Amino acid sequence: MIPLTWYLALSAVMFTIGVVGVIIKRNAIQMFMCIELMLNAVNLTFVAFSSYFGDVTGQLFVFIVMTVAAAEAAVGLGIIIAIFRNRESLDVDDASVLRL
Amino acid sequence: MFNLLPSVPQLLFVLFGAMALGCAVAMVAQRNPLYSAISLVGVFVSLACLYLTLQAPFIAAIQVIVYAGAIMVLVVFVIMLLNVEEEVRRPLRLTYLIPVGVLLAAVLVGEAAFMLSLGSSAPTPAQTTSGSDVGLTASIGTGMFTKYLLPFEVTSVLILMALVGAITLARQGRTPLFAAPGNVDEEPAVLTAGGDVAIKPGDTAATGRAYAREQIRSGDAAAPSTSAGEEER
Repeated sequence: MIPLTWYLALSAVMFTIGVVGVIIKRNAIQMFMCIELMLNAVNLTFVAFSSYFGDVTGQLFVFIVMTVAAAEAAVGLGIIIAIFRNRESLDVDDASVLRL
Repeated sequence: MFNLLPSVPQLLFVLFGAMALGCAVAMVAQRNPLYSAISLVGVFVSLACLYLTLQAPFIAAIQVIVYAGAIMVLVVFVIMLLNVEEEVRRPLRLTYLIPVGVLLAAVLVGEAAFMLSLGSSAPTPAQTTSGSDVGLTASIGTGMFTKYLLPFEVTSVLILMALVGAITLARQGRTPLFAAPGNVDEEPAVLTAGGDVAIKPGDTAATGRAYAREQIRSGDAAAPSTSAGEEER
């Protein structure tokens, strides 16, 4: 049987990759996708704990995290489109001031 | 636990874990956002397979349907819509961010390694047998609509707010004052009693061109100047 720590380690490494991506990427859509990766790493932890402890709560909260991710995708991509419409660029360095 | 011959679950874990990690690294390394999105779909699919090995079929199905299906289609749609080019390589303004990122990554990997070393001594809870109904749709639904009804309702309100917010953000600010070309039927302009062109709101360059064509066809020479004035806009 696979130890629980394997799943936790995999999740931690994936979360790390997501954090590094958010730090080094400057394309807004790619930063957005790195955030999705971080959410998925946390989901893996939830499901692993839920399965190992025989408790359904973890999987319920995975469901809620997915809903939040869907809401985030809708609003985040709307913001990205609005930024692109104003600045003709997706580079976050070009959007470093709040005024137009 | 660590036999010479790995068991089937261990092989599956290594296979899909390596797939997830490889796709995640590829996602960060890609410069083209579209390739990043496809790598992210790979991460989602291999995570769904990992959920299956954890006896969570409902979450695995939702992962593929909602993440790999809906959310990634939205992302790819936006990438296509905005016609994003590859990220241009240009000097970083904040160069200290790279060592900070490496440092943070090292701290997190160190934590994971610490957890792994701890895991060999700490008691591992027994994984539930395959006969349990924890991951099945029925048990998740029962939990969601009894004990966790309030978080579920709050989530539905959140979705509604996201819906309204996304529509508000993504629509054009106001109804445009001038009709865009293609928005208006291409028809000859209306002439006033003095023979001038009556410019109505909604007239475009296309209207002017249609007027010029009409004038040329009928042999009137006064057309090009007015149509040229229309072209300026």
